[in-house]
Amino acid sequence: MTEKKYLETHEWFSINDNEITVGISDFAQSELGDIVFVTLPSVDETFSKGEGMVEVEATKTVAEVYAPMDITISEVNNKLDSEPELINSDPCGDGWIIKGTIKELENIGMSYQEYESFIS
Amino acid sequence: MDKLLTTQLYKYHLEQKSKLIDFAGWEMPFSYDGTLKEHNYVRNSCGFFDVSHMGRLIINIDEIDNISKLICSDIINLDNSKALYTIFTNKNGKSLDDVIFWKFEEKLVLICNASNREKISKHLNINGIKFDDQTFDTCLIAIQGPDSEKLMNNLIDSPARFSAIDNGNYIYARTGYTGEDGFEIMFNNSKLNEVMKYINDKNINPCGLGSRDTLRLEASLPLYGFELSEEISPIEANLKWVLTNKEDYLGKDKIEDELNNGKHKILKKFIINSKKIARTGTKVKNNNINGVVTSGNYSPILEKSIGYALFDSNPESDLIEFDIRGNFIEGNIINKRFLS
Repeated sequence: MTEKKYLETHEWFSINDNEITVGISDFAQSELGDIVFVTLPSVDETFSKGEGMVEVEATKTVAEVYAPMDITISEVNNKLDSEPELINSDPCGDGWIIKGTIKELENIGMSYQEYESFIS
Repeated sequence: MDKLLTTQLYKYHLEQKSKLIDFAGWEMPFSYDGTLKEHNYVRNSCGFFDVSHMGRLIINIDEIDNISKLICSDIINLDNSKALYTIFTNKNGKSLDDVIFWKFEEKLVLICNASNREKISKHLNINGIKFDDQTFDTCLIAIQGPDSEKLMNNLIDSPARFSAIDNGNYIYARTGYTGEDGFEIMFNNSKLNEVMKYINDKNINPCGLGSRDTLRLEASLPLYGFELSEEISPIEANLKWVLTNKEDYLGKDKIEDELNNGKHKILKKFIINSKKIARTGTKVKNNNINGVVTSGNYSPILEKSIGYALFDSNPESDLIEFDIRGNFIEGNIINKRFLS
């Protein structure tokens, strides 16, 4: 598993072999406030880089989670159906959102330190 | 941008590390512990809100006949020591502001929305009504929740529901904006430390504007700027019950036209069963009748997406369809309150 990388759209991702795990950053969950609904994609659905995959509804606003690169969904975090608040309580752990098979690996994303200076 | 106004509790909000937002030109707490937690403090026990940003205008009772000419509810026959929810109407019968009056023997306390304080002040001035704006000299705290009475009874005697008391130290009423029992307490800025010590000693949790909004929506209460505006009449907002002023008042002819001909927009409550929130501005349809969502959010008690939509005319059935970011989502109009 690679170190987590962060995107300007506030997703984090990590890569294990050819599989990517995606969630949203602690900063993003904190800005959204209480998350109440998560609309997850289906397994085998494909997404192009930058395409919206997931809708996160919070009491304050709604946010989309974008595909960091071209992927096919291999697993979704079904726990989020009944416990969307996992994204608030553990955004980078139990609050992961989707896993996907990478079509073409790209060297993108910021390190945590770079992301921290991006959001500050 | 002009510097944001702050209330006397600003330092407290900073100390509590609340999330601050710009609300009607005031820097106010959106949340402290999270909107859902704060929502549940109020539904299950008690929470307090700093609502000192709301306008507080003191009007001599001699002006009551002049005030009556500007509002759609009967304030003249209201007993002293009572609170009144009403609407300042404009000449078109639409809503300038929805407000609360506390009526006392020698004065009226007018509590208006923060966003409308200047507008209402100007409106009173134009109509020759004298008032003393005490917004910056006083604080206003709302204590809300089923345990409010029990927790506050060492500080204040409880009035009956929708009644008000001026005991010389505190002017307060038992109204609310959450659907729960509660008190709104106004006091001079010099008493803030005393009140905050009491609230802290009783472990009453602070709540922000985020939960104030989810609470009022779940309690089926309108918010000015959303369900009411200078384009929306009390009838359109489904507030016919506030039209108790039998005397003449600004825009009454237009309101009576709406009542008689039935040609007006109409506000409806809705529930969505899928995991989508229809937010303010979302388009909605009932057959060929168009509408727009005025407020939409999550109801923590119902665990569903709820809201208000303003339709061009009365929908023919309860089934409605929202256009949420290009997806067509079904919802249902409900005619009872969200919470029974």
